Amino acid sequence: MKFSENWLREWCNPEWDTHTLSESLSLAGLEVDDMEAVAGEFSNVVVGQVVSFEKHPDADKLNVTQVDVGEDELLQIVCGARNVVAGMKACCAKVGAVLPGDFKIKKAKLRGVPSNGMLCGASELGLPDDGVDGLHVLPADAPIGMDVREYLQLNDSIIDVDLTPNRADCLSVEGIARDVAAISGAELKQPFAAAQLTHQGACPVAVKVENTPACPKYLGCVVTGFDAQAKTPLWMVQKLQRGGVRSLSLVVDITNYVLLELGQPMHAFDLNKLQGAVQVRQANAGEKLVTLDEKELTLNADTLVIADDSGAIALAGIMGGLSTSVTDETTAIFFECAHFAPLAIVGKARQYGLHTDSSHRFERGVDPMLPERALNRALQLFTEIAGGQISEIQRVVDEAHLAKPAVINLRRETIGKRLGLQLADTEVETIFKRLGFGCEANANGWTVTASTFRFDMAIEVDLIEELGRVYGYNNLPETPLSAPMTLNELPESEQELHVLKNALVQRGYNEVVTYSFVDEAKQQLLAPDLPYVLLKNPISDDMKAMRTTLFPGLLQTIAYNQNRQQSRVRIFESGLVFFKNDTDPTGATQIPMLGGAMVGGVADSGWDEISRKADFFDLKGDVETLLRMSHQLGKIRFEACSNPALHPGQSAALVKDGKEVGVIGKLHPQLVKAMGVSGDVFMFQIRQDALMTMEVPAAKAISKFPEVQRDLAFVVDEAVAVQQLLDAVTAVESDILQSVEIFDIYRGQGIEADQKSIAITLKMQHIERTLQDEEVEALVAQVLASAKTAVNAVLR
Amino acid sequence: MQQKLQEIIAQAQAAIDAVSELAQLDELRVQYLGKKGQLTEIMKTLGQLSAEERPKVGQWINDAKQAVQGLLSGKKNELEGAKLAKQLAEETVDVTLPGRGVDLGGLHPVTRTLRRIETLFSKAGFAVETGPEIEDDWHNFEALNIPETHPARAMHDTFYINENTVLRTHTSGVQIRTMENKEPPMRIIAPGRVYRCDSDQTHTPMFHQVEGLIIEKDASFAQLRALIIEFLREFFEDENLKVRFRPSYFPFTEPSAEVDIATNLFGEGRWIEVLGCGMVHPNVLKNVGVDPDEYTGLAFGLGVERLAMLRYNVKDLRQFFENDLRFLKQFN
Repeated sequence: MKFSENWLREWCNPEWDTHTLSESLSLAGLEVDDMEAVAGEFSNVVVGQVVSFEKHPDADKLNVTQVDVGEDELLQIVCGARNVVAGMKACCAKVGAVLPGDFKIKKAKLRGVPSNGMLCGASELGLPDDGVDGLHVLPADAPIGMDVREYLQLNDSIIDVDLTPNRADCLSVEGIARDVAAISGAELKQPFAAAQLTHQGACPVAVKVENTPACPKYLGCVVTGFDAQAKTPLWMVQKLQRGGVRSLSLVVDITNYVLLELGQPMHAFDLNKLQGAVQVRQANAGEKLVTLDEKELTLNADTLVIADDSGAIALAGIMGGLSTSVTDETTAIFFECAHFAPLAIVGKARQYGLHTDSSHRFERGVDPMLPERALNRALQLFTEIAGGQISEIQRVVDEAHLAKPAVINLRRETIGKRLGLQLADTEVETIFKRLGFGCEANANGWTVTASTFRFDMAIEVDLIEELGRVYGYNNLPETPLSAPMTLNELPESEQELHVLKNALVQRGYNEVVTYSFVDEAKQQLLAPDLPYVLLKNPISDDMKAMRTTLFPGLLQTIAYNQNRQQSRVRIFESGLVFFKNDTDPTGATQIPMLGGAMVGGVADSGWDEISRKADFFDLKGDVETLLRMSHQLGKIRFEACSNPALHPGQSAALVKDGKEVGVIGKLHPQLVKAMGVSGDVFMFQIRQDALMTMEVPAAKAISKFPEVQRDLAFVVDEAVAVQQLLDAVTAVESDILQSVEIFDIYRGQGIEADQKSIAITLKMQHIERTLQDEEVEALVAQVLASAKTAVNAVLR
Repeated sequence: MQQKLQEIIAQAQAAIDAVSELAQLDELRVQYLGKKGQLTEIMKTLGQLSAEERPKVGQWINDAKQAVQGLLSGKKNELEGAKLAKQLAEETVDVTLPGRGVDLGGLHPVTRTLRRIETLFSKAGFAVETGPEIEDDWHNFEALNIPETHPARAMHDTFYINENTVLRTHTSGVQIRTMENKEPPMRIIAPGRVYRCDSDQTHTPMFHQVEGLIIEKDASFAQLRALIIEFLREFFEDENLKVRFRPSYFPFTEPSAEVDIATNLFGEGRWIEVLGCGMVHPNVLKNVGVDPDEYTGLAFGLGVERLAMLRYNVKDLRQFFENDLRFLKQFN
């Protein structure tokens, strides 16, 4: 809501400067978004009339003008503007004037011709752009010699208030003034008296309201015999402009003026274009209406329309139709001033892609008592300016469906409890009085009757908010909360995400946060089989699929950084992935994941580091660190797998209790280009829940007896995975085998081409005694047998 | 005899002087003092002397042995010192070269900010709760007193999945889920990603919020004021931070307020909005089966990126989601 500060001050004029006024509005909940002076700072600029002009003798583009500024002598002013004509009125800066930018006007000679002042264009005075290349043209009736600031009412500011949806009552100058009066204590003035208008003859238009719950009040009135040439007066044009409304024609300007001044949307029909009675009814499904902005709408049956015998002629409370609109030729007008219930209008404009000043107000609630005053005001303004005869008012009212003011019981005790401050009774009563609410004391407090324009008053806390708001939120005390009653849980058997994140940070990873919606095409390449969810209204086409994997975001981040000369990238992200699932109430299974990726050297190129590209096992080591931290190393197993995103020979599923909980591998070489990355990218992701369990340590005794070590080198087929051999070894039941470690993988001389050697160390120890050679050899024999059986391993 | 001994000493002296290796020195020791060394051999001849002469000559020989031993020891010390000096010189490194394996990543500034917020509130007894990001209409709107027809819905710039599910526009839904599952009193915060269909210089379609909720008997707006002001002053480590409350409107709180702080980051002394808060609307409490006459609720929702920008001097919101390592590494 934009409005002229001066206009507001006509209604309520507290002793506040503009800045204080603006701050006070914000602190009353009417947040001031912007505030600007309507013109630049200038002085000594008056209305001048160009009496005559002639070409400058010595310059093609200059004219020498004689300007009447109401003084004894004409001023000779040299002027370069192209639109100068004899008789025009313009803004004339006299010698001694100071224009915006501290530009002083002095006597001067321009190419030898004396010039005593300057004729000004809009930009030179800091006025809003008038679209004219040249002088700012003033109306013909502008009084010569009058100060332009005074004539154009330029000592004014435009205040733009960003109103919350509950404060529809402030969508007018009067409404803002009411609140200013309440918070400042200044008087709320009535800058015009309600006019005693003469209504002659019955309204020639019959009005039938079919849906009175939606339209409980409809006033109509006809004006004829007015001056169709009458123009909107300057003061009105200015107030409209400063309210952000362009002047169009007198009739439209007056309805807009009343809208801004009082907050009542109105509509004017060309009487001679109406056919039969005006009806307020639901639209017939499929009914057509061409609106004022020349769009043809096909209406739904849920839409309230104004209709005549020809069909729909306006979207009720939203926008008028083209066929019955007023034009320059209009000689008779039917004014509509109605009350539409918010529920009848809400969402309807949006349904047709519309949003108007009228729908904005009716959706939020317009004072049902306002139409009478507003129509009177419009008729008063119209007949004062253009004359004409006014008919009787056609009035259809369904009292039962008019919104009643809320009557709310307010307990004295609740005020103190909620606000944390016990307001004095007189303070409470004064605040409600200033807000225009009725307030009667009762046993426990008050019975408060809210005003009809406050649609946001329904329950006790609504009144308490009003008390706090007017008293001033910043004047309320600060009372510390009491200490918590219980300690929070601290389960040691749960790993914490931030601990895992810290581990990755310490291993050189930077955390990233990428959008949860990704490019559908890329996701289909990386995860073609996973059911995904699409946004109905994405911000752009490449951000419409909810991610089913963290890989698209990680890869996009790598591409972004590689394009900026960052060749070594290690990143991780945590967040949800989303799988379409119609059995879930939200339509999706949402799983917290932790994922990461690396590309580039194994270390930052240092002064003596061996430069090596990171490979699968660098990443695997980082993942195993996470598993170890969560006591999952060994419980979550790595199994070669095929994953569409990953290299078939360098990819593993992370499997826990037979279920895949994550994946690790090298980006499939075929996808490198499509993902916009370069080099070998290694990535992993794992379900967070798989990492969130820990074991609370239970310490065991340490053996005092010596440990025995045996190294065994096996030869196996190339196809045998190390894990298979390890499984075979650890399958041997033993109470002395402490650990099995791999210390060498060998291929080459002495080993067949399709075989490899795997060397392991067995460590054995007994808790209560020194091991005997026989039991060590027995265990080794068992290990050899098991390895032979499981993977046909032979000792090298 | 004495002369002979002097000659041997002089000989030994010359030989020792010429030595440059410890091994050679040991050979000389053997040559003079070993079992068959020159002086040892002379000592063996002592038996041929008279009892009178024996002590005197014996003394001479011993003196000579000691003299040679002294020469050997002196040379040994000298050679060992030289050897150590050489080793030390060889092993000298440029200690100003950087150390190896310094490879530290960093947390995203949003996470860093979230942790700061979580730490502050957890010390006041708040538990951290989370919820889904694809949210149903009930938890994102309806239960929060935002019915279908409410104009506030249009303000939310909601991403729709379908008629009944959306990307959550705030983390307020988590307060509904928590109140549905737990009995009051409670103090929780709900951090997380939220989504609005809006993208320009000052809006990203995804950002982070922390929702806070207190349900207690007789919680008051004055307590909310104290909590918010204290939080902001602790967060910014500025005990003089200017904070102001402006009346505002959220369907799920009444009274409602927006909170501004005075900062110079976006222009001298400007008030910058940092969070919204209020007392939980009785309809919301009723929606989750809490008696609004028995319990009152305080709630707040703060924008994490906004706080991070103010705290860490970040001028462009979009940097948080570009993930440019040159930006991120400034937080390592």
